[in-house]
Amino acid sequence: MTWIDSLNSAWDAILNAVDAVMPIWPQILILIAAVLVPGIYILTKNKKVAAGFTMVMLALTAVLVALKMHDGYTGVYADLFGFDAFSGLMMLLFLAVAFIVALISPSYSEGTKHHGEYYGLLLGATAGMMFVASASDLVSIFIGVELTSISTYALVALKKNDPRAAEGAVKYIIMGGLSTALTLYGMSLVYGITGTTNIADIAALLNGSGFTWAYAIAFITLIAGYGFKISAVPFHMWAPDVYEGAATPVSAFLAVGSKKMGIVVFLKIFLLMFIGVTITPVEELQYFFAILAAITMTVGNIVAISQTNIKRMLAYSSVSQAGYLLIIFAVASQYAVAAGMFHMITHVFMKGGAFIVVAALAGKIGENISDYRGLSKRAPFVALAMMLFLFSLAGIPLLAGFTSKFFLFSSALYAGGDAISGQWVWLVFVAVINSAISLYYYTKVIKAMYVDKGSETSRIKIPVSHAAALLICVIAVIVLGVYPQYVLGLCNDAAAALWAMVP
Amino acid sequence: MSLFSWILPENIPWLTLLLIIPLIGAMITLVMKGRNAKYVAGGFSLVTMILSFMLFLFVDDLSTMSENIAWIDVMGVKISYALGIDGLSLLMVGLTGLLVFLVTVFSTEKERPNLFFAMLLIMEVGLMGVYMAQDYFLFYVMWEVTLIPMYFMISWFGGPRRHYASIKFFIYTHVASLIMLIGIFAMVFQAGALSGGTADFSFAAVSAAAGGFTEMFQILVFGLLFFGFAVKMPVVPFHTWLPDAHVEAPTAGSVLLAAVMLKMGSYGIIRVCIENFQLGAEWWQPVMIVIALVSILYGAWACIAQKDLKKMVAFSSISHMGMVLLGIAMLSEWGLMFAMFQMFAHGLITAVLFMVCGITGHNVGTREIPLLGGLAGKMPKYAGFMVFGFLASLGLPGLVGFVAEFGIMYSFYEYLAGVDMIYLIALVLLSLMLTAGYYMWAMQRTIFGRETKKVDLSEVKDTNRAETAVLVVLCALIVLFGVMPSLVTDVLGSAAVLGVLP
Repeated sequence: MTWIDSLNSAWDAILNAVDAVMPIWPQILILIAAVLVPGIYILTKNKKVAAGFTMVMLALTAVLVALKMHDGYTGVYADLFGFDAFSGLMMLLFLAVAFIVALISPSYSEGTKHHGEYYGLLLGATAGMMFVASASDLVSIFIGVELTSISTYALVALKKNDPRAAEGAVKYIIMGGLSTALTLYGMSLVYGITGTTNIADIAALLNGSGFTWAYAIAFITLIAGYGFKISAVPFHMWAPDVYEGAATPVSAFLAVGSKKMGIVVFLKIFLLMFIGVTITPVEELQYFFAILAAITMTVGNIVAISQTNIKRMLAYSSVSQAGYLLIIFAVASQYAVAAGMFHMITHVFMKGGAFIVVAALAGKIGENISDYRGLSKRAPFVALAMMLFLFSLAGIPLLAGFTSKFFLFSSALYAGGDAISGQWVWLVFVAVINSAISLYYYTKVIKAMYVDKGSETSRIKIPVSHAAALLICVIAVIVLGVYPQYVLGLCNDAAAALWAMVP
Repeated sequence: MSLFSWILPENIPWLTLLLIIPLIGAMITLVMKGRNAKYVAGGFSLVTMILSFMLFLFVDDLSTMSENIAWIDVMGVKISYALGIDGLSLLMVGLTGLLVFLVTVFSTEKERPNLFFAMLLIMEVGLMGVYMAQDYFLFYVMWEVTLIPMYFMISWFGGPRRHYASIKFFIYTHVASLIMLIGIFAMVFQAGALSGGTADFSFAAVSAAAGGFTEMFQILVFGLLFFGFAVKMPVVPFHTWLPDAHVEAPTAGSVLLAAVMLKMGSYGIIRVCIENFQLGAEWWQPVMIVIALVSILYGAWACIAQKDLKKMVAFSSISHMGMVLLGIAMLSEWGLMFAMFQMFAHGLITAVLFMVCGITGHNVGTREIPLLGGLAGKMPKYAGFMVFGFLASLGLPGLVGFVAEFGIMYSFYEYLAGVDMIYLIALVLLSLMLTAGYYMWAMQRTIFGRETKKVDLSEVKDTNRAETAVLVVLCALIVLFGVMPSLVTDVLGSAAVLGVLP
C-alpha cells in the first residue's frame, strides 16, 4: 500500500462523509456561518461586512437548497433529518426571512454594540428553524426548536438599555422555558406509549390503536407547549410585549420566521401523529383545532382594533394570522396544507414588509398609529408600500394576501373533487368575518397615512437597505398575488411530500 | 358577415382594451400635477366610451368577442382570465363608459385633481371588469377593486362626516362580498365534483353543471350569494351604508355609485343566482318579493322625511332598486327583461338627479330643503333639469323610467293574477303615489315658492357650460330611450339569462 493509495482512501472517506451528511448540508453551511460571523466582525469592526457575509451565506445556501429541490433530491440523515420537497420549501422560506432581516439590520439605529453576536444568533436561529423543517424525529424537532428559541431569547435581550426590551425578554424566556418543559413532558409520554421517537414509527404504531389517557395528556401538553410558539390563544400573551420591546428587525424575525417554525412543528406533530392516525375519533381532534382557530383569530383581531402602538397592532394581527393557519388542522387535507403553506409564504412578505416599514421609520417618527398621519406626503414610497402590505394582509384582491386567503378559506369547502362538505362552513364564516374586522384596523393606519393631515411635513429619508428590502417585499406581494401559479405548484408538491407520510 | 365587421377586427382583444385603457389613464393621471389631469382623464374615458359604443354598433354576434386565457391551474383548481359579453353586460358596459366620461366632464375638482380623476378611472376598470368577467375569481377580484377607489374618493373628497361614511361603506360591502365568496366556493366546488373533479371557476363550467345541484344545495347557496348581492343593491334592511355614503361622497362618486355600482348587485343576482339556481330562485321568490316591496315602500316613505336633497335622492335609489328586484323576482322573461331595463333607466335618471344635487350643494352652498326656495327664478336652467330629472324618476310617460316601471308592474300584475292576489298591486301603486308626492313636494320647496332668505341667493350662479352640456346629453338619452325602448330591448334580447328561464 503506497501513500497514494492511502491518500485515495482518505479522499474517499471524505467523499463518503460528505455524502452521508448530504441531506443536512444547508444547515451545516448556516451553522459554519454562524460560528464565523462573530470572528469576522471582530477582525473587521464593520457591521456591514458582517451583514454582507451573513447575506452571502444565506443566499448560497438558498441556491443549494433550490438546486436540490429542482433535482427532486430526497435523502435521510440518521433517521433524524430528511430532505424532501416539504423541508426544502420551508428552508427556502426561513432563509428568505433571515435574508430580509439581515438586510435591514445594519442600518437599524437603535440597539446594541454586539453586531457580531447579533448575526451569529440570527444565523443560529435560522439553522434551528431549518433543522425543524427537515426533522423526522421528536428529538430532532426538539433540538431545532430549542436552538431557535435560545438564540431568539438573546436577540430580544440584546437591546439591553431599554426597559421594555428587558421586560419582553424576561417574559419570553419564562414563557419559553415553561413551554419547553411542557413539550418535553408530552414527548416523553408519547415515547412511553410507543417506545420510539421517530415520527413515522409513532404514527404507524398508534394507527388503529385505541384511546388512552396518556395519549390525551400527551396531546394537551404538546398543544400547550407548541401553541406558545405560534402564539395561539390563550398562549399568546407574550407576543405583543416581546414584539414591542425587541428591536424591530428582531420582531419581524419572530413574527414571520419563528412563528412559521411553530406551524411546521404543528404540521409534523399534530397532523402526522394525531390527526393523521385513526387512533381516536379524529373528528373530535379536528373540531378541537377548528375551535382553537376560531378563538385565536377572533381574539387576535378584536384586541388589535384597540391598539394604538403599531407594533402591538401587528403583533395581534400575527396572532390572528396564526388562527387562519390553524384552519389547516381542522380541515386536514392535502389541499389545505398546500394552501396553508402558500399563506405562510405570502405572510412572510406582507407582515415582514409591514415590520420593515416600522423599522425604517423608527427614530424618525414614533411607533404610534397617530404618528403615521400625513406619511404619504413625507415618505410616499414607504406609505405606498405600507398600504400594499396592509391591504394584502386584509385580503384585498390581486395582492398576495388575497390569493393565499382565497385558497386557504376555500380549503374548508374543498373535498378533493368530491361533493362539498358543509362541515367547516361555520369556520369559514368566522374566518371571513374576522377578515372584515381586520380590514377595519388596517384601514385605520391607511387613513392616517393617506387621508389625515400630519402636523409635520418634512420629508423622511430611509436608508437604501430598507428601501431595497421594501422593494423585495412589494414585488413579492404583487407577483404572488397576480401570478401564484408557480409557487402554488411548489406548495402542492411540498404538501404532497408531507401528506405521503400520513399513515 | 356584417357590413361593419372590418371596424373591429377579430384578432384584437377589444374587451381587454376596455380594461387597459382606463388603467393606463389612471396611472398617467396619478403622476400628473395640476389641472391638466381632467383633460387627460377625459381623453382616456372618451376613448373607452367610444370603444364601448362601437361594441354596441358594430358587433353582430357578441359571443365572438369572448377572451379566455388560463391563469391558475394547480391543486385541482382552474382559474382563467375570461372576458365575454352578452346583451346585459353590453348595456352595463356602455352605461359605465358613458357615465364615467360624463362625470369627468362634469367634475371640477380644484384640490388634488390628479388623485380624483385617477380614482374615477380605476373605478371604471373595476366596473368594466365586473360586467365583463366570465370567471368567478376574476369577477370577485373586480368586484373588490371597485371598493378601494370609492373608499378613497369618499374619504379624500367627501363631506364633513366622510371618515365615518367611507369606512362604513368599505367594511359593510366587504363583509357582503366575503359572504358571497363563500357562496362562490360552494357553487364552484360542487360544480367541479359534478363534472368530474376539477374545480373550474369559469362561468361556463358552473352553468354547465348547475343542472345537477340538489334543491337543498341551491336554496342554501342562493341565500349566500343573494346576501352578497343584496347588500350591494342595496335592499332594506341592508341599506344603511348607502345614504351615508351618498351624502358624504362627491358628486362624481355619487353618480357612479348610484348609477353603475349599485347595479353590480342586481347584475350579480341575475347573472349568478338566477342563471344557475332555478330551484333556489323559486324557493326564494316570495322572500325576494317581500324584500322588494318593503324596499320600494320604505325607500319612498323615507324620502318624504329627508331634509337633505341628496339624501332624498339616495333613498329614492333604494326604492327604485327595489323595483329592479321586484322585476327579477318575477322569474319571467318579461319581468327580467324590464328589471334589466330599469337598471339602465335608473342609471341614466339617477345620474341627472345626483348632478342636480351636486350643483345645488356647489352653487347654492347647501342642500337642506328647508333652507332653499325660489331657485327657479335665479337658476332657470338648473330648475329645468331638476324638474326633468324628477319627472323622469317618478315615471312620466314618454321617458325611459316609465317604460321600465310599466314593464315591471305589468309582469307583477301577471304574477299576482297567477297566484290570485291582485290586491297586492295596490302596494306598488301606493309607492308610485308616494314617489310622485315626495318629488313634487321637494320641487315645490326648493325651486318654486318664495325665497326663504335663509341663504344668500344674490350671487348664485346657474349651471355652467360643461354641466349644461352633460345634463343635456343625459336628458336627450332619457327621452330617446323612452320613446324608442326597442333600442334597449333588442340588445337585451341576447342576455344569457333569458335563455335559461323555465
